[in-house]
Amino acid sequence: MSAPWSPPPGVSAPEDTSEAPPSAPPDTTSEPVEWRRLHKVTPALNAWKAAAVLLGIAVWNYGEELAQLELPVLQKGLFVIGAIVLGGLIGFGYGALAWRRTQYGIGTDSVFLHSGVLWRQQRHVRLDRLQAVDVTQPLLARMFGFSSLKIESAGGAGSNLTLSYLTDDEAQRVRNEILARAAGVKRGEQPAGSPPVDAQAAPERQLLELSSGRLIGSLIRSAGVMLAVVLVAGLVVTVVVTQTFQFVAGALPAVLGAVGYVWSRFAGEFSFRIGISADGIRLRHGLLESKARTVPPGRVQAISLSQPLLWRGKEWWRLRMNVAGYGAESGQEASTVLFPVATTEELQQILPLVLPDLGTDNPLETLQAALTGVGDDDGFIISPPRANLFDPFSWRRQGIRVTRTALLLRSGVWWRYLAIVPHERTQSMAITQGPLERRRRLAGLDFHSTAGPVRASAIHLDVDVARDLLLDLAGRAREARRHAAPERWMQTRVDATAGPREAASLRAGYAGVLPTTPGRDSAR
Amino acid sequence: MDSTAFDVPGVAWAPVSDKLIGVRRLTAGIWLGLPLLGSAVPAVIFGGAVWIAPAVFALFLVWAFWLIPRQVRAIGYAELDDDLLIRKGVMFRSLSVVPYGRMQFVDVQAGPLTRRAGIAQVQLHTASAGSDAAIPGLPEADAARLRDRLSEAGEARLAGL
Repeated sequence: MSAPWSPPPGVSAPEDTSEAPPSAPPDTTSEPVEWRRLHKVTPALNAWKAAAVLLGIAVWNYGEELAQLELPVLQKGLFVIGAIVLGGLIGFGYGALAWRRTQYGIGTDSVFLHSGVLWRQQRHVRLDRLQAVDVTQPLLARMFGFSSLKIESAGGAGSNLTLSYLTDDEAQRVRNEILARAAGVKRGEQPAGSPPVDAQAAPERQLLELSSGRLIGSLIRSAGVMLAVVLVAGLVVTVVVTQTFQFVAGALPAVLGAVGYVWSRFAGEFSFRIGISADGIRLRHGLLESKARTVPPGRVQAISLSQPLLWRGKEWWRLRMNVAGYGAESGQEASTVLFPVATTEELQQILPLVLPDLGTDNPLETLQAALTGVGDDDGFIISPPRANLFDPFSWRRQGIRVTRTALLLRSGVWWRYLAIVPHERTQSMAITQGPLERRRRLAGLDFHSTAGPVRASAIHLDVDVARDLLLDLAGRAREARRHAAPERWMQTRVDATAGPREAASLRAGYAGVLPTTPGRDSAR
Repeated sequence: MDSTAFDVPGVAWAPVSDKLIGVRRLTAGIWLGLPLLGSAVPAVIFGGAVWIAPAVFALFLVWAFWLIPRQVRAIGYAELDDDLLIRKGVMFRSLSVVPYGRMQFVDVQAGPLTRRAGIAQVQLHTASAGSDAAIPGLPEADAARLRDRLSEAGEARLAGL
């Protein structure tokens, strides 16, 4: 049914600024694409941004002049209101123009977005290259029931396709349709031109919800908050002792930075929920700005579990992930979080979502060894004793465990850290050795993943072991790539290329039921 | 004895062109020679402790000239069936395995100096910024051949992300 992807003539480049007739969308696509518009409210929702920017500029640049002018307060207030209204009008006018020029469509193989007023842009995202779909509700839009939809692809920073704004229902519908098509779900034949049949939302099952109590508890026990508290306390003490405020101005940026970080953690990770659907992992979070993210199966490139020192007593772990397309956006700390604070028990529910099969016979014991273990129990390969010069405390902890499906890299005695990379997701690997390491016959093993928070490397292994591991893992990665699930995840190949075992485990992991790997469903 | 650790049994390493030595020496000569001359002028005029600066630059220049041939000869690559192996470094060594199927694109680059020497750099880019898969100093014909072979192999073994 799906025709081979053929670039429409004249619109082959993702950013094509050709002088297509600006009003009508180029009807050059070979497939029938129904062109749609964003919701009419878009210019109004965007206008307040322009107003805020203009107001900011006005206050920032002319605030002092305004304050020194000998005018009644009422008149000054009118100036400010005038700036807001002017900014709003300009923003609305431009937004209305942009809205008229913006159209989107969903084809069998691609999502299209044509936009731009002066610089026209036509962006086509191939559905099999889709990495994640986010539905974001910024505070203002959320109050009026509008969402913005973002489709992430792996083309680096700014490679996403954003549809803002749609009504909440529309956003849901578009997301479901995009995901269904990206999954390769076969749909009944439709006569061309008929309104598309709504794709059913994939049945979703919520697994875990982060309680606000635990979120606050975890933040209190984190280094960032400690720093903020110490800073604020130090500041207060300084003010009290010296009876002056001259230090406050100097320390203010640092305090604001620390408080801002903690607030963004709190607001961004508030009410974090993780669920599973046939479309992949569903993550929902946010206090003011609410986000619902969908990461389809096979899109998580690597995950990391970290445990700050003070989380140890509670056995809490922070899970982060590398997803191509998320990592490139700097400052989006929250978007790479898989789950902010999970207990060891909950890990056993979350990890199978990413890795349906850990590839060992006793996954729970392997996980336990990886999380808290030291030494070479459960097949971990650790640094040789001669590495104690470099790592007096951690040489028995840092190590690597190779399973049938993934590699586990653990490190950190005080600040525990574990990286998990499926074999078919390593991009490339290398061993490295500096002059000091050479004298002790040690070498480090690095695994390269897509941009993101997970760092996957094993340091100070025996050089021969590292070399052998490198070659062995290159072979495993090759093998795993060959059997990797297709990018259109519902088109599970049950043919010679993918063994029935892989297909079965994939279905088990993602068809809305929890994986049934023995020993893992004893989590509760 | 140590070099064996970064060798892979059964792999014949292809070296890069010796012309890279000349190019890198010329580059080092420019970057260190100019400050050397610049700092030597006041040293000639004032004498004494001012000579320390040109002496340091001269020392670095000698060290670079001694190091560069060793570095260049340490670079080797091997085209296996599914992966490209790249070996590098004298003090800080590395051995990378880059699968062809992970390739996103190939670059062939040549600057004015390398072009005069008839060599070019071939670089394989994967979806990871960490992959260091650059082979500098290939004769132009080899570079073109490798580029074509890499794109061919990449197409044949294409894997997703």
